[in-house]
Amino acid sequence: MGVTAFGAVAALALAACSSSTSTTSGGPTPATGFNAGITHVMNPSSQKGGTLNFASSSGIPDSTDPGNTYYAQMWNLSRLYAMPLMTYKSCPGKCGGQVVPMLATAPGVISDNGLTWTYHIQPNVHFEDGTLVTSSDVKYAVERTFDRGKFPLGPGYFPALLAPQKPAYPGPYKDRSKNLMGLKAVETPNPTTIVFHLAKPFADFNYVVAIPQTAPVPPNKDTGANYQLHPISTGPYMFQSYQINKQLTMVPNPHWNPATDPNAKQLPSKIVLTFNVNPNDVDNRLLAGDIQVDLPGTGVQAAARTKILTTPSLKAQSDNPVSGFSWFFGLNTRVPPLTNIHCRMAIEYAANKTNNQTAYGGPFAGGAIASTVAPPNVVGSVAASGKKFDLYEATTKPQGDLTKAKQQLQQCGQPNGFSTGITYRSDRPKEVSAAQAMQASLARVGIKLTLHGFPTATYTSNFAGVPKYVHSHDLGIIVYGWAPDWPDGYGEFYYIVHGAAISPVGNTNLEELNDPKVNSLLDKFATTTDAALRNSYTAQIDMQVMRDAAILPNVFAKALLYRSPKLTNVYVQSYYGMYNYAVLGLK
Amino acid sequence: MTAPLEAPADAAPETVLAGVGAKAIEGRSLGQIAWMRLRRDKVAIAGGIFILFLILVAIVGPHLVQDPTVYNANLIDPTLSAPRGPFGGISLAHPFGVEPVTGRDVLSRVVNGAQVSLLIAFLATALAVIIGVFMGVVAGFFGGWADAVIARSMDVFLAFPLLLFAIALVGVIPSSAFGLSGNSLRIGLLIFVIGFFAWPYMGRIIRGQTLSLREREFVDAARSLGARGPYVLFRELLPNLWGPILVYTTLLIPTNILFEAALSYLGVGIIPPTPSWGGMLSDAVNSGFYAIDPMYMIIPGLAIFLTVLAFNLFGDGLRDALDPRSAR
Amino acid sequence: MIARAPAPHPVITFIVRRLIATVFLLIVVSMVTFSIFFLLPRLAGQTTYGLAAQYVGRSPTPAAVHAIERQLGLDVPLPVQYGRFLKGIVFGRHFDSGTSKAYCPPPCFGYSFKNQQPVWPMMISSVPVTVSLAIGAAILWLVGGVSIGVLSALRRGTLFDRFSMGVALAGVSLPIFFTGLIALALFSYRWPIFPNVQFVPFTQNPLLWAKNLILPWVTLAFLYAALYARLTRAGMLETMNEDYIRTARAKGLPERTVIVKHGLRAALTPIVTIFGLDIGLLLGGAVITEVTFSLHGLGQFTILAIDSQDLPEIMGVTMLAAFFIVFANLVVDILYAYVDPRVRS
Repeated sequence: MGVTAFGAVAALALAACSSSTSTTSGGPTPATGFNAGITHVMNPSSQKGGTLNFASSSGIPDSTDPGNTYYAQMWNLSRLYAMPLMTYKSCPGKCGGQVVPMLATAPGVISDNGLTWTYHIQPNVHFEDGTLVTSSDVKYAVERTFDRGKFPLGPGYFPALLAPQKPAYPGPYKDRSKNLMGLKAVETPNPTTIVFHLAKPFADFNYVVAIPQTAPVPPNKDTGANYQLHPISTGPYMFQSYQINKQLTMVPNPHWNPATDPNAKQLPSKIVLTFNVNPNDVDNRLLAGDIQVDLPGTGVQAAARTKILTTPSLKAQSDNPVSGFSWFFGLNTRVPPLTNIHCRMAIEYAANKTNNQTAYGGPFAGGAIASTVAPPNVVGSVAASGKKFDLYEATTKPQGDLTKAKQQLQQCGQPNGFSTGITYRSDRPKEVSAAQAMQASLARVGIKLTLHGFPTATYTSNFAGVPKYVHSHDLGIIVYGWAPDWPDGYGEFYYIVHGAAISPVGNTNLEELNDPKVNSLLDKFATTTDAALRNSYTAQIDMQVMRDAAILPNVFAKALLYRSPKLTNVYVQSYYGMYNYAVLGLK
Repeated sequence: MTAPLEAPADAAPETVLAGVGAKAIEGRSLGQIAWMRLRRDKVAIAGGIFILFLILVAIVGPHLVQDPTVYNANLIDPTLSAPRGPFGGISLAHPFGVEPVTGRDVLSRVVNGAQVSLLIAFLATALAVIIGVFMGVVAGFFGGWADAVIARSMDVFLAFPLLLFAIALVGVIPSSAFGLSGNSLRIGLLIFVIGFFAWPYMGRIIRGQTLSLREREFVDAARSLGARGPYVLFRELLPNLWGPILVYTTLLIPTNILFEAALSYLGVGIIPPTPSWGGMLSDAVNSGFYAIDPMYMIIPGLAIFLTVLAFNLFGDGLRDALDPRSAR
Repeated sequence: MIARAPAPHPVITFIVRRLIATVFLLIVVSMVTFSIFFLLPRLAGQTTYGLAAQYVGRSPTPAAVHAIERQLGLDVPLPVQYGRFLKGIVFGRHFDSGTSKAYCPPPCFGYSFKNQQPVWPMMISSVPVTVSLAIGAAILWLVGGVSIGVLSALRRGTLFDRFSMGVALAGVSLPIFFTGLIALALFSYRWPIFPNVQFVPFTQNPLLWAKNLILPWVTLAFLYAALYARLTRAGMLETMNEDYIRTARAKGLPERTVIVKHGLRAALTPIVTIFGLDIGLLLGGAVITEVTFSLHGLGQFTILAIDSQDLPEIMGVTMLAAFFIVFANLVVDILYAYVDPRVRS
């Protein structure tokens, strides 16, 4: 599709640091340079003033309501007006993936065998109207996420993880209790303390409260479905005007105290976001300096890419970070003949990985060919360790190994190949190209693919994510991508390979993998409090999934970002895989 | 859409004279006169020849060219995803070059695209014309309440924004419905929408023509000789209607070609990897590759332009040939 | 002699009759539109569950989907949904935003499925952009197209005629997004004469409003001017051959009067009809032009609505577009009735 397509980033992006092991203070800051923004804060400055201009080729992908959003660009942007309990440290390089306290004073204190998490919030944080933020405001924000009818677009961790009550908590709009504090699993013993009671131990809970859904919402100023038009800000900026799908203007929040929020800055005197700008227009305006940031943060289009890579002065003003996404093909283990592991292995061997990479944009705009699932920014992943694990010769024989593929076909009883369907999102040109590339490369060994494209809006809700549909239409290969909600093995793998994650609608375990080994490793994640031990499971899960030939990895996504010379304090935040929007200023 | 056409009043059918029994005077029929005049219009003939050539290409071409779905990744520079070599990778093996990212042969995609684009345009036009002529004749000939009903329904259909409807319908219908799926469903939908909502344009014109013809002298003459309704309809009116029908059909086709191109640009045209001219143009524009590899946009753009131009020239010539008063 | 009450002015009766017919027309249009967007997908196999599932974000559970069904009003039978739709247009609707029961005043086209905001205000805020685009382009193409057509007709066969008709032919044969793209590529990016094409409201800065709209105006007007030039020329040629023109000349009237007062007037009749239709269509959203130039008008609004299958928005914008078309037709008809008594019968 044309116009509004590009950039619907599916989930959170985590980015990697590229090659060096440097921290923020890795040598003197260069003034310019390709990829300098990945490891250094470029143009550091505390100069105030100017108008910061964002543009996007689409509208806000879901909502500006911090309780109702699930996109990396939004979780990044929302730090300008919302303060969740925890956040990711604002710094370039690896430290940008660390979760640190934001509204809270310290990470959660665990008690009760991992079932109780206690946070203390800072005592002098104020809303944009001057009222003091208390722990009840945080509890109210969490309560809102229980109303899946009003706020369906954000993640559903709180209803899933918190201790249940009978009858189930219906959300604050049907809450009949005093002061709308009817959610029993969350307690606020005093205005600066909030206590979460979990149904089962969940060692990654600090990551969960880093989601914008814990940003406080004053109950008496909540406007339900209209809150997105003007969320009551606790961040450095507040909404001045918002016309959905057209323009959003923010101005500095006078009641923001920088001492309470070291991860954000209040430098520009105005922030303007313009939506639904023609994608080529976005790039042209970016290069011309009319805008400074492309909001989705997924990189420039082909024309700008060529200009940037072939003009040394422009290349020195660009960064090519790992965005935290893996693009891959799910091989459905329940669609015959892919029920036989050898048929799946045949696909793994026969696929032309170079062509798949080219389909996604080549090494700069697409990413590096992957032989495992988790990208290098996921703590404990095979890719992060630098060790090689390449069962199907993705890096050694990227054009594919037809001999081995044919051997596998013999072993699965289909010596002349077989037919199956491949499904993809028809409004994403990269996925269209990838599906066609697979069709061409698998045909070399007699595997015939029929193409089934569906629009992104209905992809997981009505088609690829509905196992019944997948089975009845023989969709053996499913083009997909994934970025974890937080940068560890659980965030990366649970929803895409755990047997319990298979869901009748909106399924994300598209391979319908139900391997007890994988399941038990993921289950151990929740209960293991030792972080090092937890993270050691990640590589094991990764390798097991590859041994099961459940996923055919494509690339670890990269984005080619243009670093506008007018920006100050600009660097890539590894968690979001794009520039940190909370600290930008103007020259 | 275009200026009204009136059939000349001097084309007296030979049948009346023959019926009188007199020796038939060697007169020229409307068709012969028109053909003679058309022959002299070089530009229109050029358009007509191009159209025939195009139809030939659409029917035979796909069998003569390469497979339009084959990827030639070796012809693509992986860093920039652009074709190697100037002018979009033109070479002997690929006379029109190759596409960016995929390396598919542009010539074969243009030829196959001709098939799809022309198919939709012709069928959609045919549907609109058939419905339009039927409704127009019925309304104009029978008058009375039939006319009133048809005229009102034409108003209703004309009230719908066609482009919006086409886009919305395509977006709203699931990808597999009514027993069809994929491109057969999409093509069927496009033909249905265009035919179903564009018939009033033809209907109005035909109705107007029928109304004015009904009052002409030769119809009175036929009636005075005892001719009944159906006779008048089929032997007197319809032969005089084919002129405007032909002209407006010829002028409706290029509109529908442009329409399909517009729908593809907006993302609701033919589903890839089936090539269509509008789809190729849309790819070139929306991916931004037109700036790096202009041939990728120019070639399908030129194909659309020349086709539409040819139909317009031929249609203009046809109209001039059939109407003696608009002497050039 | 029986005294009779004076008959009402014939034009007034005509207008009243047409207005009533227009209302009926719009009702029929609303029924057809509703059927096409709500009923047809059902017939094609879509379920309410399937429709609601698109709005549950990325962690859907059956309970969440059902909650959305209720929220979007999809859990009642279609006739009831249609009834609510009509009622909303005439009387307004109440909407539960969570913390309060909001009242959406008439005409209320419901609430967007995606962002739960009332559709009508969102549409209205897009109208100035589309109207600016349509009116500006209309003036350009009418003046440009008609004058070139007249001149070509009068100078039939000359170089001027051939050249301008050639250009006009090219103009109607090019896809409009092509023209728009070339315009942007040359005059916005390559040579920044019109950089950063963004809509500035007329009330805010009339000069900037006009400057930023020049490229879209010219792009849109080019296509229509070409069409109108051809039409006018053909019309003029036909009219100038009529008997009454010869009579007027024979009477000794100055050539200019003959051309303008007699020839052009007659030739313009079909032009006006078509102009009415074209303006009506354009007011509903010059989709392609708006998309190419990133203008937040009704056309772009439509595309976004369709992308997210936001049925209330789609219904709203289609009804608005149909209203513009019907209204434009009405205006044209009334003008004719005023001018030509035969039409009123």
